[in-house]
Amino acid sequence: MADASALRPDLSLVLERITDGFFALDAQWRIAYINAQARRLLHAPQDCIGQHWLDVFPKARGRLFEREYHRAMRDQKPVQFVEYSVTAQLWLEVKAYPSVDGLSVYFRDVTSRVEAQRELESTTRRQQALIDFGRAALAGSTYDQTLADAIELLSEALDASVVDLYHYDRLTKGFSIVRSVGWGNGASLDRACPPIEHLATVIRTGEPFVCSDVRIDPRARTLARLESSGVLSFVATPIGTNNAPVGAIVAYSRQTRTFSIADVRFIQSLSQSIAEFASALESNRLMFEVLETIADAFVAVDRDLRITYVNGRMARFWDEIPARIIGLPLQAYTARLDSPEGRVLQYFKDALNERRALTFEYAWRDRWFEARLYPFGLGVAAYVRDITKRRFEQERVLELNAELERRVAERTTQLELANKELESFSYSVSHDLRAPLRAIDGFSAALIEDYGESLDARARGHLDRVRRAAQRMADLIDSLLRLAKVARTPITFAPVDLSTLAEAVAGELREHDPRRSVAVVVEPGLVAQGEPHLLQIVLANLLGNAWKFTRQLQRAQVYVGKNSEGEFYVRDNGAGFEMSYANKLFGAFARLHSSDEYEGTGIGLATVARIIHRHGGDIRAEGAVGEGATFYFTLPAHEP
Amino acid sequence: MSKPYILLVEDNADDIDLTKRAFEKNHIANEVVVIRDGAAAREFLFGEESRHTPGMPALILLDLSLPKVGGLELLEAIRANDATRLLPTVILTSSKQEEDLIEGYRRGVNSYVRKPVDFNEFVEAVRQVGLYWLVLNEPPPAAGGGGM
Repeated sequence: MADASALRPDLSLVLERITDGFFALDAQWRIAYINAQARRLLHAPQDCIGQHWLDVFPKARGRLFEREYHRAMRDQKPVQFVEYSVTAQLWLEVKAYPSVDGLSVYFRDVTSRVEAQRELESTTRRQQALIDFGRAALAGSTYDQTLADAIELLSEALDASVVDLYHYDRLTKGFSIVRSVGWGNGASLDRACPPIEHLATVIRTGEPFVCSDVRIDPRARTLARLESSGVLSFVATPIGTNNAPVGAIVAYSRQTRTFSIADVRFIQSLSQSIAEFASALESNRLMFEVLETIADAFVAVDRDLRITYVNGRMARFWDEIPARIIGLPLQAYTARLDSPEGRVLQYFKDALNERRALTFEYAWRDRWFEARLYPFGLGVAAYVRDITKRRFEQERVLELNAELERRVAERTTQLELANKELESFSYSVSHDLRAPLRAIDGFSAALIEDYGESLDARARGHLDRVRRAAQRMADLIDSLLRLAKVARTPITFAPVDLSTLAEAVAGELREHDPRRSVAVVVEPGLVAQGEPHLLQIVLANLLGNAWKFTRQLQRAQVYVGKNSEGEFYVRDNGAGFEMSYANKLFGAFARLHSSDEYEGTGIGLATVARIIHRHGGDIRAEGAVGEGATFYFTLPAHEP
Repeated sequence: MSKPYILLVEDNADDIDLTKRAFEKNHIANEVVVIRDGAAAREFLFGEESRHTPGMPALILLDLSLPKVGGLELLEAIRANDATRLLPTVILTSSKQEEDLIEGYRRGVNSYVRKPVDFNEFVEAVRQVGLYWLVLNEPPPAAGGGGM
């Protein structure tokens, strides 16, 4: 019989000093001894000695303490365990030593140790859970399955009775429940009592909302019905950022509880994962939609050249449906369009190995395709486009070009031939046409010389006219030849001093016709780009005309200059012309005066116009009858 | 050695008459030997017959447009042959094509005269040519170094 009095005083002293709690029970489970530490930790009343231990510590009834003590006594073997004591409100490590007389129980407060360990376990479990969740999401799990996993995980890890997941509609600012666990029987809190205001708060702030006791939390006054649903505490967190919220998670507990920072963090992490997954899904959905919409056929392969994605268009090319193709080796489809064998597959390998984009064309079933390959981290993406039409058009363009070139060549040959003919014609004109003229003139002269005496004045007059006509025709031939020559002469652009040239021409005219007194004023420093020889012909004609058409004047004046618009001009105060005929001036054989009045072939201005045009310039004339004429012409200031 | 004569290579009968008339009018008394085509002229100058001819002409007047062998071709032959290489040769033609002028001088013609249409001018041209080449100009040493 273990009794307090039976203990030796020295032992009692020892037991009072140890830091462990200690009590002894007798064979009838009555408290025989209890030390000060045990009294303190277990809040034991003073008069507990001799009372049944369960009467003193009723909360231990039915719990591990009772079961273990009985086992120790039954087996007569020591027991050791750690358990939460409701009485002490502490975690206790208990060692109980049985004897036939009773049970000696030592215990110590291990709360801090247990809690640290539990915290560690919880954190580890949650981290593992997050990793598992992320892995599942990455593995291509569906969104619904991911959400189901998420709230299951939450419910487990937080030991929460109920977890609800809400979708937030940014347009209507409304919430709808997506997933829920813990209610059982299909019951759902949201129908009973949606804590909408608090969801709105977390969406607005982007911060979690923690309520540890709905009965006393002043913020939870509108949540009275939560209590009637059996919920005493909850934590709500947003999913997504407060800029782009997509929903909220709420974990409810039927007990009052203080959600630790770790709890809140865990929910936040999970929300973050869900938001990322949703965002990735959205991007994927958008990407797939784009890939279905584009006009190109699309296929993606992994680094082993297995098909990871095809759009509908590509699948139709292959007479397949996308779902049946995913995972198959690309070779299964490239093989049948390959000619030579392996060419298309090799392009994919090259793109992959050389990490560069490739474009190639191939023919299949009488159509042409262009494939563009883009390597990326996980494989190669290929866009394929039907370019049959383009190729057809290209070929057509090539054909047309060839045809055009052929025609140009043909035309060039014809032109060259025509040019040669023209040249030989010019030659004939210059040589063969002159010979008869010379005979006409020569024999007319001979006639006059040999038979002049037997001819009357009238007959001699006729012969003179024959000779003048022959001479005139010779002049015409020479003018025509000059015009033709202007057309053929290649133009080499060089700076030409028109002032000096004009002075020289005027000098020649004066020398040739010394009886005339014409005031020729040439503006100095007139410079143009052109062929000097041809520009000399221009000035000789224009000044020659001015000289000629001022014949009737006492005070003939000729100006050579350049106006403010950059046009060169040759002006005289001579006979002039009617402006309505101005456009006829530059045609070959065009004459505005009778040859009796002013001699000339009518080819000079045509030659001038041709020279100016060949230089890229323009020529025009202004004048009035009796008031003189001005010829304006432009020449490039720089080599064109 | 007989009296120096003029060799006129010309196919146009009118021009032949007019040229002769111009010589007459200018009192140029040298005999004018007329050959009507280039091949005949070549035969005359370098052929078997040439041995019986009275030596080389004092002056060759050469038209360019000739049957069979053209004037320029004939000129080339004249300049290539030792017997005629140094003979004063004048192109007398209707053409004043630049190509003809260049080719003429390139092949070593001594002078290039364009026949004017006006007969008075023509007579004057012939006068000057005759005066210059037959009177004023000192001819090359006889037989042109050909050893005739």
